[in-house]
Amino acid sequence: MAMYIRVKRSKTTYFIQCDPTESILDIKQKLHALIDQPANDQRLILVGTGEELDDSKTLADQKVENDAVVALTLRKDDNEFEDVDIVKPDDFLSIS
Amino acid sequence: MRKEDTVKLISAEGFEFVIDKNAAMVSQTIRNMLTSPGSFAETQHGEVTFPEISTTILEKICQYFYWSLQFASGKETEFHIEPELTLELMMAANYLHT
Repeated sequence: MAMYIRVKRSKTTYFIQCDPTESILDIKQKLHALIDQPANDQRLILVGTGEELDDSKTLADQKVENDAVVALTLRKDDNEFEDVDIVKPDDFLSIS
Repeated sequence: MRKEDTVKLISAEGFEFVIDKNAAMVSQTIRNMLTSPGSFAETQHGEVTFPEISTTILEKICQYFYWSLQFASGKETEFHIEPELTLELMMAANYLHT
């Protein structure tokens, strides 16, 4: 295994094994197997830079490195994508 | 990666970590759960809840699993642990036989 990334949405984190030469579309297809949402309805954003990741480019092209955190957002019913929503455990503690 | 090849680890606060079974089986405790005959009810659904492990620690543990696989395949990097996590992480590691 060359590397992995952490794909986060809400309170869930998916650890995805991948290779720097894989495209973002490849990653979305891997996610499709896990979340039942087609690649077309997924948007991935590199959390470090806030940059939206481009399907046709590779992980290496877009400086997505081992252990990187990537936000997943899904297409809503009105065809727009939802905002990035990653819940951090500290938020939870401060509420409770 | 197929859904059946993953397990979902759930922290004390209900946060979920979906990881590859091969990574989870770095932990002897989880390996036993996943491979023992007449297996645990949780593992048949591919979910294991750890009511005593906090989210931060569980994420660190998952990162460790993957680091361990990378290390085993010859990639020698360091695994960074924040000093304030050390005690809790050691207790979890002891429980998980990791």
